[in-house]
Amino acid sequence: MADVLKTPEELRIGVFVCECGLNIAGTIDCTAVSEYAKTLDDVVCVVQNKYTCADPGQNEIKKAIAEYDLNRVVVASCTPKIHEPTFRECVADAGMNPYLFEMVNIREHVSWVHQNEKELATEKAKDLVRSGVARARFLEPQIEAEVPVTKAALVIGGGVTGIQAALDLADGGHQVYLVEKEASIGGIMAALDKTYPTMDCSI
Amino acid sequence: MAAKEFTFRCLKCGHEYQGMYDAKNVTERSCPKCRSNSIRRLPAGKAAKK
Amino acid sequence: MMDVGRHPRVELMTFSEVETVSGFVGNFHVTVRKKARYVDPTECTSCEECSKVCPVAVPDEYQQGFSSRKAIYIPFPQAVPSAFILDMDNCLGNNPIACGKCSDVCEKKCIDYDDQDELVNIEVGVIIAATGMDVYDPTEYDEYGYTRFDNVITSMEFERLICAGGPTGGNFMRPSDQERPKRIGFIQCVGSRSRDGRGNPYCSNICCMNTVKDTLLLCDHYPDTESSVFYMDIRAFGKGFEDMYMRSKEEGVKYIRGIPGEVVEDPKTGNLILTVENTTTGKLEQHELEMLVLSQGVIPRKDNDTIKKLLTLSSTSDGFIMESHPKLKPVDAPTKGIFIAGCVESPKDVKESVTQASAAAARASILLNAGKTKVEAITSQVNAELCNFCGICATVCPYNAILAPDRKAKKPPTIIQAACAGCGACAAECATDAITMRHFTDDQILAQIDAILSHKPHEHLITFACNWCSYAGGDNAGTSRLQYPTTSRLIRTMCSGRVDEKFVIRAFKMGAPMVLVSGCHFADCHYISAVHWTQKRMDRIWTKMEKLGIRPERLQLEWISAAEGQKFAKVMRDLEETVKQVTMEEIEHSMKVMAEEEIRMAEKKAKARPKPVAEVAV
Repeated sequence: MADVLKTPEELRIGVFVCECGLNIAGTIDCTAVSEYAKTLDDVVCVVQNKYTCADPGQNEIKKAIAEYDLNRVVVASCTPKIHEPTFRECVADAGMNPYLFEMVNIREHVSWVHQNEKELATEKAKDLVRSGVARARFLEPQIEAEVPVTKAALVIGGGVTGIQAALDLADGGHQVYLVEKEASIGGIMAALDKTYPTMDCSI
Repeated sequence: MAAKEFTFRCLKCGHEYQGMYDAKNVTERSCPKCRSNSIRRLPAGKAAKK
Repeated sequence: MMDVGRHPRVELMTFSEVETVSGFVGNFHVTVRKKARYVDPTECTSCEECSKVCPVAVPDEYQQGFSSRKAIYIPFPQAVPSAFILDMDNCLGNNPIACGKCSDVCEKKCIDYDDQDELVNIEVGVIIAATGMDVYDPTEYDEYGYTRFDNVITSMEFERLICAGGPTGGNFMRPSDQERPKRIGFIQCVGSRSRDGRGNPYCSNICCMNTVKDTLLLCDHYPDTESSVFYMDIRAFGKGFEDMYMRSKEEGVKYIRGIPGEVVEDPKTGNLILTVENTTTGKLEQHELEMLVLSQGVIPRKDNDTIKKLLTLSSTSDGFIMESHPKLKPVDAPTKGIFIAGCVESPKDVKESVTQASAAAARASILLNAGKTKVEAITSQVNAELCNFCGICATVCPYNAILAPDRKAKKPPTIIQAACAGCGACAAECATDAITMRHFTDDQILAQIDAILSHKPHEHLITFACNWCSYAGGDNAGTSRLQYPTTSRLIRTMCSGRVDEKFVIRAFKMGAPMVLVSGCHFADCHYISAVHWTQKRMDRIWTKMEKLGIRPERLQLEWISAAEGQKFAKVMRDLEETVKQVTMEEIEHSMKVMAEEEIRMAEKKAKARPKPVAEVAV
């Protein structure tokens, strides 16, 4: 069944291995990982970068998409929590659907936690790249739904923070609901005499 | 549906203990001995058989 | 405070609590309970006539109990809204026959003993949680004698005693004899940076500077005061802070490096004798003080769990709320459209709180100004041809985003795309594989399992980690450089609720010695209750494994929060040992048995699907 659903086009996967300076390359043999990636089915181009997230690295991705007619991009670098949006935008700039991008975490989950086991860490990185490429084969283009944003904000807590946030938003032209549990706003700060460093009144 | 008593077994250290289970309100399990969350609720009548 | 009270675009809802939050970014539906205050704040003129006649006196919380207030009162003179409130717990009765004095004298007739709580529904696009902090109660530090000795007070109590608006009208005096104390000591880090199980291990950030401020106030108001500060480190790193610290020293405040071991009271004078090892001189010293101020730390709000549940937030190990990223997204919550600011995130002073407030407001404005936002395309979809109308999907959905199918009308379930958050519990529970999670499909995940285990399968621990907690916990282990063995191979899903039984079966079939499923603690689950289904499914799979002659111990389950890098690394270290104990015979057996089970499951699912479409079968 799986094969039927697979996108009919020929898979052309590009793999980008990031050294992250020495953050990754200090533990993992990135060249060995790159060489290994070349041996995987459907991988038509492998690029190794010092910093894939930096402009030169992103340009390499865009260039490779054009040059090799890539339809899947796998970046082996850090956690998707930081740069997945970056790379999704990058491949979208190059005309690819952002959901055809896959990220493999070989920094937080490999190089930084296996600093004394360089060989085993390199093997793990290879396995994860293989896993990422396998997943990439089944990625499908997606369209993100757009939802309207109600032009009002809820601020919970009427201490100095909530008051400031509510004022900023309201001054910016937005409707704000400021909800405070106690009978008056002011919070802890209202119970202080003077506040540092200006030594002025708190209220 | 009320909670019923079951035997729970820690799949890490083997510790067994009694506890309540309510299918409508599942709660987090943690081994009182080793803190593992691999806690299996044994099917009724299976307690402590090795 | 006044500005916000009269701003035309701010609707102030005081004495109110958020009761429910549903919806998603841009479209949150919120219910707020406006608690009965028994005095109409729009009519009340704060004339005080009511409280003058009120016969009830109770300790005034605002004045830290140093003075009393009536049962009908204004929290403090500058309160916003400037209105009285009736404390029904202490009022002589909801029964005006019992008293009713306040109502009699109220000219505006704005007191209503029958006032009721009111539920208000509001629609908002963004939410900022600025719920603040609580202060540490130093009673458990028994050696300091707080609550035993009258003249040992906390820093919050000090604020009221020195304040012109305080119970003493700004005439600084000590509680035991209403005399002005001339020798005052301050003990720092009370409940902070503690390693002995009392208080908290973290630094509360504000107490050093607060004490420096207090000493300067004393120097300013009463130049003949001798202040001594007992500390372990003075942390004065903010802009202008070092200057203040130096000024305090120049004014003659003594800074003594050492935390006192004992405080005793001289019963005759009410003075306090404090014993401390001065770690600069290495000598044991005794100080006689007329008053002692305990510089109490900052703690997470006691009701933080409520806000965590309402907004699906999680907390770090210290109990403060976790941000999306410590450096890059310090005021974003992991859930889109929700922001955090101020002491709810960590202890901080006024300036930092205001900075974060403005940051959160700016981040929120991005969404509000755009007026629209994109939702990640990771929602579920139904293949109507495969559905057998069982309706389990609608049951498991934590968001009520699935309209149940209708068996009679042969109408498959409808998924409300805007309400679906993408946890995948429905896909994992679906009896006929009719539900597909976009971007986390069965094919994609099975391909990862196959790929990982195509090479030395018996050495690898297949680990499923949820995006929000356990995967992030792994990231946390990484950023903290916590070392652990290389055994694990991690597969990310949005929620542990996505981990289908067939993923586990496939992993064992492919020769995995062990499988670990990991997700958020129940309180932290980013999909309300999807994690409950993980737990139930695990029970089911364990039972199945046992029936098939596979040790259930080979499938492990751990809840690891985004902040629990330590736990992540420990689990990995522990499981390394357990993986080694799995024998080759066991692995071969489970490969064979699970291969058969996989076929059996596929047949069962095929059977469960609706008949008419014969060509689907092969």
